[in-house]
Amino acid sequence: MSTAAAITAAATANCQAVDLGDWRNLLAVIWDFLHLSLFSLGGGNTLLNEYHHMAVEQYCWLSSRQFAEIYAIAEAAPGPSSMIVGLLGMGAAVKEGAAWALLSGVVAEVAILLPSTLLMVAAALSWNRLRNSPWRVAFERGLGPITLGILFAVGLKILRISDHDTPAYAVSLVVCVLMLRTKISPLWFMTVAGLMGALGLVNR
Amino acid sequence: MPEPAPQPSHLQLFLGMQQVALSSFGGGLSAWSERIVVEDRQWMNKEEFITGLTVARLFPGPNQINMAVYIGSRFHGLSGAAAALLGILLLPFSVLMLLGLSYYYLHETLAVDRVLAGVITASAGMALSMGFKIAGVYSRDPVAMLLAGGSFIAMSVFHVRLVPLVLVAGPLAMAWYWPRGEQK
Repeated sequence: MSTAAAITAAATANCQAVDLGDWRNLLAVIWDFLHLSLFSLGGGNTLLNEYHHMAVEQYCWLSSRQFAEIYAIAEAAPGPSSMIVGLLGMGAAVKEGAAWALLSGVVAEVAILLPSTLLMVAAALSWNRLRNSPWRVAFERGLGPITLGILFAVGLKILRISDHDTPAYAVSLVVCVLMLRTKISPLWFMTVAGLMGALGLVNR
Repeated sequence: MPEPAPQPSHLQLFLGMQQVALSSFGGGLSAWSERIVVEDRQWMNKEEFITGLTVARLFPGPNQINMAVYIGSRFHGLSGAAAALLGILLLPFSVLMLLGLSYYYLHETLAVDRVLAGVITASAGMALSMGFKIAGVYSRDPVAMLLAGGSFIAMSVFHVRLVPLVLVAGPLAMAWYWPRGEQK
């Protein structure tokens, strides 16, 4: 167990970026997004730990801190926050210049959306047969609690990579409670917290 | 008697979904989607819309994107889905790509770095709230809490990846919740 942990730690420390110019590596990355697409339970946020693993530990596109930052950008930007995949793709190619970064962002987003979209088309067209199927009932009831557990794991992960001092944890907890108890737009929380950062009240 | 609304064309699907995306800059995508699709354009009635949301939530993929796909495919199958998808994604994704480029080129600037240090504490709080938001549904079902707790520990403590976790825990959970002898 400890040996495995040591190997993992060493691998993380020496995270070697793979060359995406080699088409085999590129296909491997695209395949990662394609198959994750079908595992995006609960609207896609369950995949955030996998994205972090890919971008930070496996392919070394980003640091943990950058991952926390692009998550914040995806949350603040209009549209579904699952578009973070576009930003991951961008991060993978940003060293090659803006044009490659854009192309890579688009390719990553298409890869993460394509399989789930095709499945959704099939579901929409055959829903009347599916709706009373025992498979549908068991899937909905069974996968719900697993989604719940994964969302807590994702929340904890993002908290860990974002916050490093007590004031930061305090802000996160307050935001969490306000998200649950009020209908205030999250953009306000980000604005206030951003100001606190600018004033040096919270640090990494 | 009100005439039934004619089927939207591909272009209308694209434009309608684009309007949903535009209206919801700042939040409330689901509410805008219903207002535009059900009330303004009358492409479907409220029950049909809610059925769509149920399917969109059940299947993998971002809920609002799935909803657009559902609406598009109901009228024109795969090509309708593509039109609706493009409509709901084009503007927000373009904005996101611009934000992303700005980020990657500016994040090492001191001022940006400090603001971001603050912003990520807020988004971390938002991420933390996701689980609590749906936890209430399952809190009275001990098996559900066991499944949730087990999945959480597997992922957070033992670093089990999502795909093997779902492939092992999913079938077990489905077997447990398989409907037996229930009258529908």
